[in-house]
Amino acid sequence: MEIKQQPTTAVRAMIDRLSRRMIITGAGALAVVWIVAGFLFPDSWAGVLLGIAASPSTHTATLRLAVPIALAAIGGIFAEKSGVINIGIEGLLIVSAFSAIIVTFWLGSGESTLALSHHWWGLFAGVVASTLFALLFAVVCIEFKADQIIAGLAVWLIALGLAPFVSRIVFDSPNTGNVGTFDNVTIPLLSELPFVGYLLFDTPPQVYLMLGSAAAGWYLLTQTSFGRWVIASGENPKALDTAGVDVRKVRYTAVLLSGVFAGLGGAGFALGQLGTFAGGGETDIQGRGFIAIATYLFANYHPLGALGGSFLFAGLDALQIRLQAAGYAVPTELIRTIPYVTVIVVLVFVGRTTLPDAAGENYESGED
Amino acid sequence: MRESIEQLLDRLIHASAVERVAVSIAALLASILVGAVLVFVSGGFASCRTGLDIVGWTFCYNPMQVYYELFLGALGHPLEPGFHPLNFNLATTLQQTTLLVFTGLSVAVAFRAGLFNIGTQGQLVVGGLATAVTVLYAAAIVPGGFVGTIVLIPIGVLAGAIAGGLYGAIPGALKAYGGANEVITTIMLNFVAVGLTSTLLSWQFQDPNSANPQTAPVPEYAEIPNIPFIGFGGRMNFSMLALGFAIVLMIVIAWLLARTSFGYELRISGVQPLAAAYGGVDDKRMTVTSMTLSGALGGIGGAFWVLMVHGRWLENVPALGFDGIAVSILAGNNPLGVGAAAFLFGVLQSGSRSISTGTAVPPELVGILSGLIILFVAMPEFFRMIGMRYGIGQKKAVRADGGARVATDEESPNGGNRTSVDDGDQPAADDGNQTVAADGDQTAADNGGEGDD
Repeated sequence: MEIKQQPTTAVRAMIDRLSRRMIITGAGALAVVWIVAGFLFPDSWAGVLLGIAASPSTHTATLRLAVPIALAAIGGIFAEKSGVINIGIEGLLIVSAFSAIIVTFWLGSGESTLALSHHWWGLFAGVVASTLFALLFAVVCIEFKADQIIAGLAVWLIALGLAPFVSRIVFDSPNTGNVGTFDNVTIPLLSELPFVGYLLFDTPPQVYLMLGSAAAGWYLLTQTSFGRWVIASGENPKALDTAGVDVRKVRYTAVLLSGVFAGLGGAGFALGQLGTFAGGGETDIQGRGFIAIATYLFANYHPLGALGGSFLFAGLDALQIRLQAAGYAVPTELIRTIPYVTVIVVLVFVGRTTLPDAAGENYESGED
Repeated sequence: MRESIEQLLDRLIHASAVERVAVSIAALLASILVGAVLVFVSGGFASCRTGLDIVGWTFCYNPMQVYYELFLGALGHPLEPGFHPLNFNLATTLQQTTLLVFTGLSVAVAFRAGLFNIGTQGQLVVGGLATAVTVLYAAAIVPGGFVGTIVLIPIGVLAGAIAGGLYGAIPGALKAYGGANEVITTIMLNFVAVGLTSTLLSWQFQDPNSANPQTAPVPEYAEIPNIPFIGFGGRMNFSMLALGFAIVLMIVIAWLLARTSFGYELRISGVQPLAAAYGGVDDKRMTVTSMTLSGALGGIGGAFWVLMVHGRWLENVPALGFDGIAVSILAGNNPLGVGAAAFLFGVLQSGSRSISTGTAVPPELVGILSGLIILFVAMPEFFRMIGMRYGIGQKKAVRADGGARVATDEESPNGGNRTSVDDGDQPAADDGNQTVAADGDQTAADNGGEGDD
């Protein structure tokens, strides 16, 4: 393949742009057909689906379900842009979600310390746990030059074992007890706005965190010199090194950032949406970290694009949950696979082009 | 990602066989050590009546006892009175070993072709259901008894291999013709496999006589038979014949990879895809073929899980495919090494049951241990550094990396120099920074542009 066609970066970018445009146009066309069909035949499948998709509660659910995906994706962008592919982001979500719940439980839910409710301390603990795991991953990859994919898988598998292990010690079961969820934060006046008020200004805190992080991530990556270092560290570490910037430090910081963002995502999801954590099997995270990776590939490493992409996957998830709850005679297990199938379709369209040049490679500044 | 795989394979191939074994053993010991610390510390948070008191804090778990149960429990406690070599625990260990040989081979074959097949689990789930359903339908037309056994078992295994192979071909084709990263697609296909098989089960194949989500049992003569008198008892769900088949398959795969032109092409496209393409290997076809072979091996694992362990397909499939990743990585993706690694993980799986009956420690410890083993095997550099520091295996370390390692060592005094140069350069670095910044801007602008589209 490499021999026969070695497209230049420009050509690759063009193909990439075309396929991305194709998928967006295709999805748009489908949506139009669906909406028209839904209006014309309200009793048909299209109509029922349209009713669900248009209902405010689906939108609220979409926004909340987007939290782990969007935040993990933003974190993943930093790590991968710096040249460290963090496939263990799923593990970071698991660890943060689980530790957030268990610390909140341990402190006592519903109470507060130092004027801060224990849910917030739990969130903080989740972020710390995830960042520590990211640090471990960074040391293993950068210091000991481990293969990033294998080390990432290891982080995921360790988290898969650790959550039910600790949970069994505390709760005698792989599932934790329920600590309740964050209350909605309602902003007066703004929440009265039509259409967006209930969505953006009357919602649990993790949604604000997600929106704020997307903006912060965008600013950090595209508007600051640190962002440029991150990008250079992934595209051409030697140039960055020559310029006098320590590639190792940049990569360490980027991977730790991925831990912070993923931690906010996992802990926010657990404390804002679940209130409890099931550690058996694939755990409550259910592959959302991997979906996040597909999301940022789809968004071509753009933090705001990743936020938008996460709405796509979260929207599909919300749709399938509502379909199940509505009790239509649909095979639940099959409906549940829709987000995963969508990830595969998206990857086929946009998966070819995206990796930074030096992603996955170790960089040794001593060599020339 | 391709480069990283190349790099890793390169490293694995340049490392001598002795060193690879040494790294695997060191990784195992390191994981056991970390696991022991974890068990001891977590014992401080558990509640128990008696434990080790250290300054008023009670530690409930004894890591030595845990490992005693884990390793010796898996063999049936050979040091205790009343030990019988054909005991249930050892049967479970060997049963798990048999299944893990299949899944380990599945991951190893893909890995040698330069592909990460995380989807062995899904291929096993799909293959297992295909086996159960095929055998159930075929049993209606095939006579029972001995004839049934020798006809139905091969048909069932073949059905599992075909279904698993086709399911493995999907991510292969998506990778070859769509450029979709196989790590993500195979993980997604694992979820899809669960949804798909549950749907098929509730739609058509559910056992009407059971409330559990499972197929009807296959006839007893279609289960893999045991060797009379010298084997394990029939209730232990383990057959020496199955283990024998796994070992033969392992040797066949090793031969296929090492001695045939197909195996050569497969390995070469894993290590040097450019050279392979130059030498006339159809890269895309090889990707699909190796993923199909990998999936077929996973499917055979599912077939044996159905025909040897339960005699039916259950919705609740154990994570044999994921453990296969650990098996293959511990074995250095060497088919013959898979046998030894599979036995070790068989011990861990079976030992986890002994842990949960013999101690209060959660059996999920084994999952953490497998993750740790993978982590440590992935960083041979770590052990080299330790080896260097304490002067053990220095010769080995030099030999493993060839000249490069020696050069780095000699350079280390220079390394100190370099840091000071860097410091001196700091003010001058500003210029360079701007160059990079301009570069970065370019990329950022590109990104922005694409985002706007």
